[in-house]
Amino acid sequence: MAANNFRHALFCAFITLIISYPIIGFNLEAQGINVTLTGADATTIVMVLLAAVIVFLFQMFREQIMGGLKSIPHPLPQSNKEPMAENRRAKIESWVLTGIVVLALFWPFFVSRGSVDLATLVLIYVMLALGLNVVVGLAGLLDLGYVAFYAVGAYTFALLSQYTGISFWLALPIGALLAALFGLVLGFPVLRLRGDYLAIVTLGFGEIIRILLNNWTTLTGGPNGIGGIPDPTLFGMEFGRRVKEEGNTSFHETFGIAYSGEHKVIFLYLIALVLAVFTALVIRRFMRMPVGRAWEALREDEIAARSLGLSRTAVKLSAFTIGAFFAGFAGTVFASKQGFISPESFVFLESAIILAIVVLGGMGSQIGVVLAAIAVTILPELAREFSEYRMLIFGAAMVLMMVWRPQGLMPMRRIHIELKRQE
Amino acid sequence: MRTSVKKLVTAVSTSVALMGAGHAAAEIQIGIAGPMTGPVAQYGDMQFSGARMAIEQINANGGVMGEELVAVEYDDVCDPKQAVTVANSLVNDGVRFVIGHLCSSSTQPASDIYEDEGILMVTPASTSPEITERGYELVFRTIGLDSMQGPVAANYIASQSPERVAIVHDKQQYGEGIATAVRDTLKDAGVEIAMFEGITAGDKDFSSLVTKLKQADVDYVYYGGYHPELGLILRQADSAGLDARFMGPEGVGNKDINTIAGEAAEGLLVTLPPAFDQKAENQALVKAFQDKGEDPSGPFVLTSYTAVQLVAEGIEAADSTDPFDVAAALREGTFQTPIGTVEYDKAGDMKSFEFVVYEWHSDGSKTPVN
Amino acid sequence: MQDLLYFSQQLINGLTIGSTYALIAIGYTMVYGIIGMINFAHGEIYMIGAYTALIAITGLAALGIAWLPLILIVALLCAMIVSSSMGWAVERVAYRPVRGRHRLIPLISAIGMSIFLQNYVHLAQGSRNIGFPALIDGGFNFGSGDGFQMSLSYMQITIFITTLICMTALSLFISRSRTGRACRAVSQDLGMANLLGIDTNRIISATFVIGAALAAVAGLLLGMYYGSVDPLFGFIAGLKAFTAAVLGGIGSIPGAMLGGLILGVAESMTSGYLSGEYKDVISFSLLILILLFKPTGLLGKPEVEKI
Repeated sequence: MAANNFRHALFCAFITLIISYPIIGFNLEAQGINVTLTGADATTIVMVLLAAVIVFLFQMFREQIMGGLKSIPHPLPQSNKEPMAENRRAKIESWVLTGIVVLALFWPFFVSRGSVDLATLVLIYVMLALGLNVVVGLAGLLDLGYVAFYAVGAYTFALLSQYTGISFWLALPIGALLAALFGLVLGFPVLRLRGDYLAIVTLGFGEIIRILLNNWTTLTGGPNGIGGIPDPTLFGMEFGRRVKEEGNTSFHETFGIAYSGEHKVIFLYLIALVLAVFTALVIRRFMRMPVGRAWEALREDEIAARSLGLSRTAVKLSAFTIGAFFAGFAGTVFASKQGFISPESFVFLESAIILAIVVLGGMGSQIGVVLAAIAVTILPELAREFSEYRMLIFGAAMVLMMVWRPQGLMPMRRIHIELKRQE
Repeated sequence: MRTSVKKLVTAVSTSVALMGAGHAAAEIQIGIAGPMTGPVAQYGDMQFSGARMAIEQINANGGVMGEELVAVEYDDVCDPKQAVTVANSLVNDGVRFVIGHLCSSSTQPASDIYEDEGILMVTPASTSPEITERGYELVFRTIGLDSMQGPVAANYIASQSPERVAIVHDKQQYGEGIATAVRDTLKDAGVEIAMFEGITAGDKDFSSLVTKLKQADVDYVYYGGYHPELGLILRQADSAGLDARFMGPEGVGNKDINTIAGEAAEGLLVTLPPAFDQKAENQALVKAFQDKGEDPSGPFVLTSYTAVQLVAEGIEAADSTDPFDVAAALREGTFQTPIGTVEYDKAGDMKSFEFVVYEWHSDGSKTPVN
Repeated sequence: MQDLLYFSQQLINGLTIGSTYALIAIGYTMVYGIIGMINFAHGEIYMIGAYTALIAITGLAALGIAWLPLILIVALLCAMIVSSSMGWAVERVAYRPVRGRHRLIPLISAIGMSIFLQNYVHLAQGSRNIGFPALIDGGFNFGSGDGFQMSLSYMQITIFITTLICMTALSLFISRSRTGRACRAVSQDLGMANLLGIDTNRIISATFVIGAALAAVAGLLLGMYYGSVDPLFGFIAGLKAFTAAVLGGIGSIPGAMLGGLILGVAESMTSGYLSGEYKDVISFSLLILILLFKPTGLLGKPEVEKI
């Protein structure tokens, strides 16, 4: 046994060397017109060797290590406790949430403009992640082209404002509804597909939308994008230095205060906050409604759910459409915040990031998703020297989460009894 | 796809060079906003190196109106989303003069904020005509427009009286912009355009395109875009036996194209700003860069240097640090800079910015074509 | 005549690309056939193969070795070894622990792995496009001197022949060898195969290794054919190859070949007769249509929903 273990450990260490040394240990560099190969510096090579040694030791003493890990008490003790009664937990949760929202309402008046702007971006991601959470977390449909609906929302506002001069407030529902319509039209044929096929089809759809936006130059401006998207107004008051649209007044003149660019930024933040809270509340409501239960039922066991008379298409379609609706919401806010959009902002990676937020937060869990959105957007800001590694860490985190904690950081909890599996 | 993915690999910078933050009274902050990380960071390096050098030299000569210039650097990763965040932090930090941004798609949304907040922006690299088309008061650039570079290339092609010309672009703002300008000028010159087509940036297989070019029997192919794709097109065209002359904008004119295309890069025509670092009057400056171990030959190093210099001279001329006064002074004055004599029109574009046609060689060198 | 030559040239272009799609598609199709998951990171393994081959070629050139067959063989071996090890490690780290869980979990794990590997190479080798030496030059030309000339390069011929050899070898392996038979047994019924004494874990590992080795072959061939590598080109190629696998019927090895060729030809005809801008739109639309109307693909077996 020990010899066997040793052989296996040696093999693993050897594989580690093979997959890391050639790629990390040699660097291809363009020197003038030639490509040359340079060896990496000593520290890098030592690191590679160290990695192999670690893998060796881990594999060698795998059983002891795993046994040791199991005997350590779980870092999140509540997972062993009986779950709190749902109504009590819900009560505490809603108090905490209300507190956070109130705090978030007043927070922008005390911090810098850059932070408020960043917070607006976080809130847009929160909206997106909450929407995707319905599709992936609750209904269990892996949507890899979610960014398409986000793009539909953003482009709807941009195009309508360009051609008809529509205001933000009118565009908000139109953008969201149009995105929902896209979700419905796309969802109708593809939702018959099984999970992994669905993932690929949505991915393809997302790419098709982006390519079309990029190629349809006469309508969307192609790669040049669309600029001059108006900011939101407050009862016809604009926040710019000068009033751009006739019939509007400006905010600072109406109230007789000095012009400050911060008003606009804070106003946008507040809009995003209200919409994010609205999104969260609506989705919460849905989760408790029969349709919400149906989503989860279908996710857990499709055949059983269908036997109980749930219409697969209707249930999945509702999740898909609602998810798309909120992506449209977020898209409109994004367009307004940016003032300029181009297809560059709607690439597959954006979908992957939103998915990563949902996965990290815990599929189905709202608080988890909000926390993950904050973490994913803000952490790279704080640890700048690591920002190069952000996507690497993302990828690794997604794998590790799936392996060790597929329920996410803050898993969705329900009262449930688990039957012992009959072996 | 390709670039944007990498953009997100790295995040926005709010790192602020806090040199001398203690004595804020006697200094003028100059923001430098561009990509420090991400796929186009190599161009960002040019921008930062040029601007830093200018600030150093101006300070060494006693600063501006007796005050020291202080560089405040921001990283926008060339991502429109992060450019807006950067612009907001800039407002926050009370910076009133910005050198940047690099990519047109970042410059455009950021300039909305600068104009609103009364911040003067000079971009040393963004060539999209739209940036100065919107009647903004505080937007300037020290580089030519796509719509200036395109006609230079088109006129050269027309002067060779070709029978048929094909125009290919990469469906990105920069590439398609220049390609459109080339097409329009060629049309006016009465040259037959056999093909005007986009490709996908990041693609590797151009065999179908090359076949199509062969079928169209063109004499010249103009490519609007960057070197990775043109390098592959050149190489695949060469192996398929396509007999046409290729031409491209300054985005293809760097040595990386030689590593990809090899021998096939010989004879490629490139429009470039004149090599400022070759000018006799700039040799002292070139030496200063070389002493620091930096390379002044990149296309945006001296434009960036000039941008800082113009801000400084504008402040001197206006005798004020109010961005609106400085903007007015810039529009009135005539300035001697490393990139030549600069005069601005109402939109904030230079009245003249020269592009020269070069012939590229397979060893990475270039010679001007007359 | 001119038009016919043009058509044939586009056909050759399409078949060339198609054969390499097929080589990559094998990896998808075998893994799907056996454990029913999409190995999203397969495109990255192909990319790593191309990088390793380039590193080997550049290294040999630096050592002053110029004998072409030796360079090719060494590059191919290096690429295959590194890619296969990578395939093995990926399965061990990211897929085996989640095997048998809910369908979404291995899929998300695979996407994570794909992002990880992309950035791994990006950080180690930089994001620049790096030129890949051509090594095999020249070719045949057909057609009259002044009109359109059709060309068939030695490189394209190499790609055809290599693909053919790999496919034949693989088919023989699957149908004749002991491991191949075990592979088929596992793909029929994993649990049953296990009961009958087949080491299913080993067979699954072997599948990943074989798929990765073929992807490495494609990496070297395409690197030489196209002329450059960058850390991100694996993803889109992987997506295309997956489309090819689905088109031909996922799980079926001749299907992967057929799907690859059809997709390659469809793309090159779109570029040749319509516009290159819509190439990707066509291949994605093809994928969506196939999945909607014939989810089992052209040569796939209809799948019975297991309860």
